[in-house]
Amino acid sequence: MTAMIGTVRRQVQTAPLFSFWLFVLGIMVIVGLISGIRVLWYGLEVTNLTDRVPWGLWITVDLSAIALGAGAFSLSTVAYIFRVKSFERIARIAVFVGFVGYTSAMLALLMDIGRPDRFWHPVIYWNIHSVLWEITMCVILYSMVLVFELAPAVLESDFVARRFARGPRLGHFLHQFTPAVSIVGLGLSLLHQSSLGATYGVLVARPVWFKPSLPVMFILSAVAAGSIVTLALTVFYENMIRQRQIETRLRNAVAMFGGLLMMGYLYLKLWDFLATAYYSHVPERVQANNLLETATPYGLTFWWIEIVVGALVPAIIMLTPRLRRQDSWVVVAGLLAIVGVVVNRWNVTLSGLVVPMDWSPGAAELFPVREYVPAMSEWGVAIGVLGYALLMLTLGLRFLPLFPKSHEKGHH
Amino acid sequence: MAEEKYLTRREFIAAMAAVGGSIAVAAALSEVDSLRDLIERELALELPDVVREAKGHTVDGTHHWAMLIDLRKCIGCQYCVYACQAVNDVPDDMRWNVYHPEVTDTGIPFHMTRPCLHCNDAPCVSVCPTRATWQRDDGLVVMDYQLCIGCRYCQVACPYDARSFNWQEREGPSGYQPEWGNAEVDRRPRGVAEKCTFCIHRIDRGLAQGLVPGEDRAATPACVNICPVEARVFGDLNDPDSKISRLLKELPTFRLREDLGTEPNVYYVPPEGMAI
Repeated sequence: MTAMIGTVRRQVQTAPLFSFWLFVLGIMVIVGLISGIRVLWYGLEVTNLTDRVPWGLWITVDLSAIALGAGAFSLSTVAYIFRVKSFERIARIAVFVGFVGYTSAMLALLMDIGRPDRFWHPVIYWNIHSVLWEITMCVILYSMVLVFELAPAVLESDFVARRFARGPRLGHFLHQFTPAVSIVGLGLSLLHQSSLGATYGVLVARPVWFKPSLPVMFILSAVAAGSIVTLALTVFYENMIRQRQIETRLRNAVAMFGGLLMMGYLYLKLWDFLATAYYSHVPERVQANNLLETATPYGLTFWWIEIVVGALVPAIIMLTPRLRRQDSWVVVAGLLAIVGVVVNRWNVTLSGLVVPMDWSPGAAELFPVREYVPAMSEWGVAIGVLGYALLMLTLGLRFLPLFPKSHEKGHH
Repeated sequence: MAEEKYLTRREFIAAMAAVGGSIAVAAALSEVDSLRDLIERELALELPDVVREAKGHTVDGTHHWAMLIDLRKCIGCQYCVYACQAVNDVPDDMRWNVYHPEVTDTGIPFHMTRPCLHCNDAPCVSVCPTRATWQRDDGLVVMDYQLCIGCRYCQVACPYDARSFNWQEREGPSGYQPEWGNAEVDRRPRGVAEKCTFCIHRIDRGLAQGLVPGEDRAATPACVNICPVEARVFGDLNDPDSKISRLLKELPTFRLREDLGTEPNVYYVPPEGMAI
């Protein structure tokens, strides 16, 4: 006990900022634990979700975490499938960010379903017609891919190597299969990142959602933001340890990759708006858009925040050599990309749900616009999931060799 | 909790008072059975205390169950709602069968009720990740509460708001028991979705006993039995001589949001002043 206190004291004295950071993360995780236990104990009654708005903040957390983890498959695809050797240097941290994203999403989902004890049911009781079933299967399988891809990093870490001498060699052995596993991972993650958009896009009764563009927009925004966030985290880490981890050329390449994809996403989004709201006039959609504009905070003006601040600005930073050269701008771009994805997933979810569906044959105004503001317990769980993600990132960067020193060469 | 129950009772008394007058008029006009008789006949049905849903019961495709709701006849008494609440043990703040006062485009008021429509191409069935909701060969869209994980995608997908979720554990009797009937099915646990079943327990048990759903009261949904003006008709579409098949041939009918392609099995006869 005294030894532990001694260690903590030394830690605080030598690295006060880092200790404070860990303290903050600890608080967040504790808040999450308390809220999570409350949810499990009392049930979803403690949320502000209702029969008419049954999905809310947690779905947003879940969708965002998965989207921001998309750097994992996109950057490792570039590295291992297109064989761009220089990208291997950033592929491992990307996979790690992906792993953190996916486990965070699973935490949020576990809270969100009414029967967490039955989370495994889709694996046994297949409904191949359900987008959600496809997502569940892909997410489970893809998480295994991530674990496999991450295994070498864990096996090579000092912690394992000291206790298990053959660890690094096993890691090298597993690493040989990375290109093959990456192909499987590419398929799985493409599929379910898109299907998350399809979850909304296939619902014929929801005029705001029902369109074929959602699956494509989800995957594009995820790959763009996921790559930018991975780069920003890397640059941030470099500043923490005062040591460059990736070459300037790789940094530029990843920035261009993320920035161009983000521009592609914006272009698609522009045409989505033009095709569904400006040049065409499907009565139901026009009505829904009017309703969103006049009676909810989810009108087009609000979407501009998501588009300009959360997508266009980070894209410009990534594509402007003068800006992306500066570390602070890259970190800002990463934070804005996170904001962009979170606000987008929230907007998509809530804009679709708050517009009522009029199924009654009469003319009476029976269905009011729905409202939803997350409850304390929902915020608590969200903070806890965020705390978990940040803690994992912190510990991973600290203890795992996430920037392998030219892995291939060392072996041959 | 106690407060809620008090409110429910008050709501019940208020509803009774509100509809009492119109019922009296309607009863006098159409010579229907008095309410007490209807409820007594309902309570006298030979039903075990709790009939478990017939799981694994093999249903061949010889029947196809459907409902007809005549909006010209409906007087808005909401008895169908109350009987449903009692018989299916639906929590007071939840409705399987809803009522709305409505008005036609030309301004004529009418009464709208909506059970689950048991769609042939039900969005809730296709989106369910575990097949907890599925459609039987006899047309009924039913749930297995043991499979449901509580993801609520069915609620998001249903175009008719016909899906409910158990946000909390339910305690105490329904505010509509025993006045409107007794619980005939198990109460659903916290964390699963649920919906109107067309009183599947009555249909399956009735068929096993050789009864005809839609004709024999013990095999007919509670909402149909309780209706004092016979605005609801239940029966087998595959039987050309069933009452519902005959009425569907005679009367102009429509279904809700047919444009969505869900193919509901609930048909409506339009009210006065509504063109279809």
